[in-house]
Amino acid sequence: MEDEYNYIVSGLERSGTSMMMQILYRGGFPVAFDKSRPPNEHNPKGYYELEGGKIINRLMDGTFPMEKYRGKFIKITAYGLKFLPKGKYKIIYMVRNIDEIMDSMEKMSGPIDREVEKPLFEKLNRFAMRLLEKRDDIEYIVVKYNDVIKNPKKEIERVNEFLGGRLDVDSAVQAVDPKLYRNVREK
Amino acid sequence: MSEEKKEEKGKYTTVSIPTPLAEKIKKRIEGTGFNSISSYVTYVLRELLASMEEEEQEEVFSKEDEEKIKERLRALGYLD
Repeated sequence: MEDEYNYIVSGLERSGTSMMMQILYRGGFPVAFDKSRPPNEHNPKGYYELEGGKIINRLMDGTFPMEKYRGKFIKITAYGLKFLPKGKYKIIYMVRNIDEIMDSMEKMSGPIDREVEKPLFEKLNRFAMRLLEKRDDIEYIVVKYNDVIKNPKKEIERVNEFLGGRLDVDSAVQAVDPKLYRNVREK
Repeated sequence: MSEEKKEEKGKYTTVSIPTPLAEKIKKRIEGTGFNSISSYVTYVLRELLASMEEEEQEEVFSKEDEEKIKERLRALGYLD
């Protein structure tokens, strides 16, 4: 039977969305990405994104072909959820300590005025999570980045349950390499 | 009318609610600290309005805020 859902990994940038895409890919779930943003020192295992991560622009102007990706996971970061057309979605929403996110953003994109930007991104996170709760065309699960690092199997089993048992959990767990995940403040 | 009564009168207004609803409320407040239907309805409406206002405030980004978020997303490579 044809899968009627669009699957999305979301969360603030640098919250572990690429890690979750890798987990799903290794676990055998259909995942859509291209080579537009190659791996680099910030994401050594790759970004697992479409169109260089810039599909938010396409969502904003209504030109992103969501139907083309039915049945597959794609990555749309938190701000992009604001422009999600009506549909039928299953979303994995990643959350991570905001200071770790700021640390990681700063490394990747230059100095951040934390007094200004930290509350803004916290607000964006609340906004996105409230949107997930409000929209009746969205089913979602929240996954904490640090929980995945600490106990990958337990968290991936939870994700697998959300996805109706379609993941190969043992293979998916192999995608989590704690050595690669820096900027961790909570141990 | 005494001054005290006039002042009291200016503080309140009357709102009509359906009798069956009033009966339901009457039953609900039995044995609680609410001593009248009015005090219960006032409490519920205040709570409701406060949560709606909080929600509205939370979700509204000023243009300036949104532009700052977009600037960071551009720097991270997530927006053109």
